[in-house]
Amino acid sequence: MADHIEIGRLLRSETTGFVFGCKLDQIDSPSFGALVRVRMDDHYQIFGLIYDIQVQDDGLVRQLITSDTLANEAWLDTRGNRTVPVEIGVLALGYMLDGQVSHLLPPRPPLSLDEIFLCTPAEIAAFTGAGRMGYLRHVLRDQDKPVEELLAAHLKQARDVQSAAGNPAWFEAALEEVIALLKDDYPTLMRVLGAVDELELARDRQSELNGRLG
Amino acid sequence: MTDQQRSNTPKTDQIGIITGGSLKNNLQARLTVPSHEVQEGAFVVAGGEKDRWLFYGLITDLRLEAHDPRYAQEDLGRRLSPRLAGLLRAQTLYTSAEITNTLMMEPGPDPLEDPEGYETWFQSVLTESVPPQPAKTVPLHHAPVRLARAEDIALIFGKEGEKAFFRLGDTLEQGHPVCVNLDRLVQRSAGIFGATGTGKSFLTRVILAGLIQHDKTAVLIFDMHNEYGPDDIASDTGLHVPGLKGKFPTKVRMVGLGRNATIRGARPDYTLEVAEADITPEDVLLLAQELNLRDTTATTLDALRASFHGTWFSEFKKMRTNAFVPGDDGKLEPAPDSVQAWAESVGVHGSAAEALHSKLRRLFNAPYIVEQPAANALQQMIDNLDNGQHVVLSFGDYETDLDYLFVSNLLTRRIREVWEKRTNDFRGGKGAPEPRPLVIAVEEAHKLLNREMASQTSFSTIAREMRKYYVTLLIIDQRPSQIYDEVMSQLGTRITGWLGDSDDIAAVLTGLASRDALRGMLARLQPKEEVLMLGWGVPMPIVIRSRRYDNVFWEELLQPKTSSRKTNTVFDGLDF
Repeated sequence: MADHIEIGRLLRSETTGFVFGCKLDQIDSPSFGALVRVRMDDHYQIFGLIYDIQVQDDGLVRQLITSDTLANEAWLDTRGNRTVPVEIGVLALGYMLDGQVSHLLPPRPPLSLDEIFLCTPAEIAAFTGAGRMGYLRHVLRDQDKPVEELLAAHLKQARDVQSAAGNPAWFEAALEEVIALLKDDYPTLMRVLGAVDELELARDRQSELNGRLG
Repeated sequence: MTDQQRSNTPKTDQIGIITGGSLKNNLQARLTVPSHEVQEGAFVVAGGEKDRWLFYGLITDLRLEAHDPRYAQEDLGRRLSPRLAGLLRAQTLYTSAEITNTLMMEPGPDPLEDPEGYETWFQSVLTESVPPQPAKTVPLHHAPVRLARAEDIALIFGKEGEKAFFRLGDTLEQGHPVCVNLDRLVQRSAGIFGATGTGKSFLTRVILAGLIQHDKTAVLIFDMHNEYGPDDIASDTGLHVPGLKGKFPTKVRMVGLGRNATIRGARPDYTLEVAEADITPEDVLLLAQELNLRDTTATTLDALRASFHGTWFSEFKKMRTNAFVPGDDGKLEPAPDSVQAWAESVGVHGSAAEALHSKLRRLFNAPYIVEQPAANALQQMIDNLDNGQHVVLSFGDYETDLDYLFVSNLLTRRIREVWEKRTNDFRGGKGAPEPRPLVIAVEEAHKLLNREMASQTSFSTIAREMRKYYVTLLIIDQRPSQIYDEVMSQLGTRITGWLGDSDDIAAVLTGLASRDALRGMLARLQPKEEVLMLGWGVPMPIVIRSRRYDNVFWEELLQPKTSSRKTNTVFDGLDF
């Protein structure tokens, strides 16, 4: 199906997350904070959030960078045929088993070379709208990750999807859950809310601009 | 859904949840409503309908709290958008309430699901077969807390119009009627307190009107300032204030002090004169401070009584002072009818007797003290009180402390003696009828019940006896700290308006377990509006907005069926 966009295959995994790889020319599809899924079989899918995108170097890239000129052919060859994949880190948020969404960690992680797909708006709405937003605790668990930015990016994506799906109250409920989870950690919560505030400001500016343009 | 959302899910009239507390101290609750929706003194109920017990108490303190102090110290509105700041405040900033844990009771049937069962249970509470009991345990963590509903108030304080329940005011927040049990109120002496200008006299009128209308108790009012019997004009508003006589013309007898007494220009029903023979030395000793009597007075009075018995006052009055006649030897010697001569004859110091005579001149000259009263007004008063009438003794022009102390104490002593005899006859198996309970209302009570005088007056005896002889006091005063501690501690019910003096506040709360919690509440009462009721006559302390003494009051009291008052609750169908 056209709306099922494959964005890579699994490199390595563990219970709390996994890393998949893709070619450099596929990098337009996955983005920081995007919700992805791994289809394990017909009944079982794992959902996760992209928290890291790494482009590794190799000997050829190092040589090309230090050369005096960079031929266009070499540039295109590096983008299209490079053997070092882009590594994309995903935080496991939950799974779907027989159509039921769970915000617990998946019972078993995905396997090597499993296909990774970007979630469609319907899948995002279904996963984020299920239960009591328990998946947010997985995002907040690892303080080594850029939690504030990751949450802001995810909330923006989910807010837009939920609003389009006729559930504008979702965003406020999600913020309340974030506050409930982080209220014991004043510095982190204020950073998260600061990032979310940026989202709000950006949306307000966009609305204002749209209004001016008619 | 977040916890906050869950807690915000409408649960009828919930205002918070129990978060802590103990039996020895108060309960703590976290409010789920803004602090301005709850006030100190609010009557609240903790516990759910399915819980084993419901707990009843008062909010005595409200505190602003923060999950982390930094949330309170940061100006969130400047740092975040209004929506984010609002969401953050909702979860991290809150109000906690301190609640007294006073009474507990098993919840009855649901009034909406089982109205008949509820009504049966409700009546059993009113008849005290299933009474609320003092709290002996505490609510569960997170037990819901709500403002008391009309039916809660009715359960604890009684239902207006039933039995002896008389509405004295309404709860602060929702205006639910709060009643006092008049039968219980008069079982022990009671006090009405409040600083000058806080509506004490109006509240007293309301209670006296309730007692008169209830008609189970005789009321004797010592009306020092002629406020209660005749109609009056309010000093602050200039409005007409109906007197008890005007509203109960056949039930209330106005008695004036002195043969030609008039009260605000009108003639009383009859007048009272004090027979000289009724005055005892103790009546005089009571006036030691007013008359500046010496320590030798008691000895002199004893000698007078020993010499003349019941006519000592008359005889002493007739004696001349500084009267000398020439003796057989030509020297001046005390005249036979002089104080000096009597003193020498009984071995009393002459100058002490002369001084006493001089100081008693104010009594000798009092027009209302006569050798032979025209009528036995005292007996008439007793007959009135016996016959279901009530007596207002107005002091008319005799408004000095001396007149008030002397007459009120003398009458009270005599009346109490009558009631004591009747009680003894009744209990002695002589077939005598049970005495009608009598309430004696006394203004400026500290003048009669202060530390120096308390042991000498009949009032302190009555206060200590409680209802042993069917006589109790209703004392009205603005300086309760001046009243002797022992008397204060014997007061059953205390109803107090605003008091500013810390000593007065402490005095009103003497002997109460929860006085620390109530102290601040008492100091912050709204003058002329709010009163704190506590003690024997009410199951638990409560702050109420007192009933106005106006035409509406009289309309409701005298024609309850055409009352303009309307209580709008979901329990209207259950006659709340």
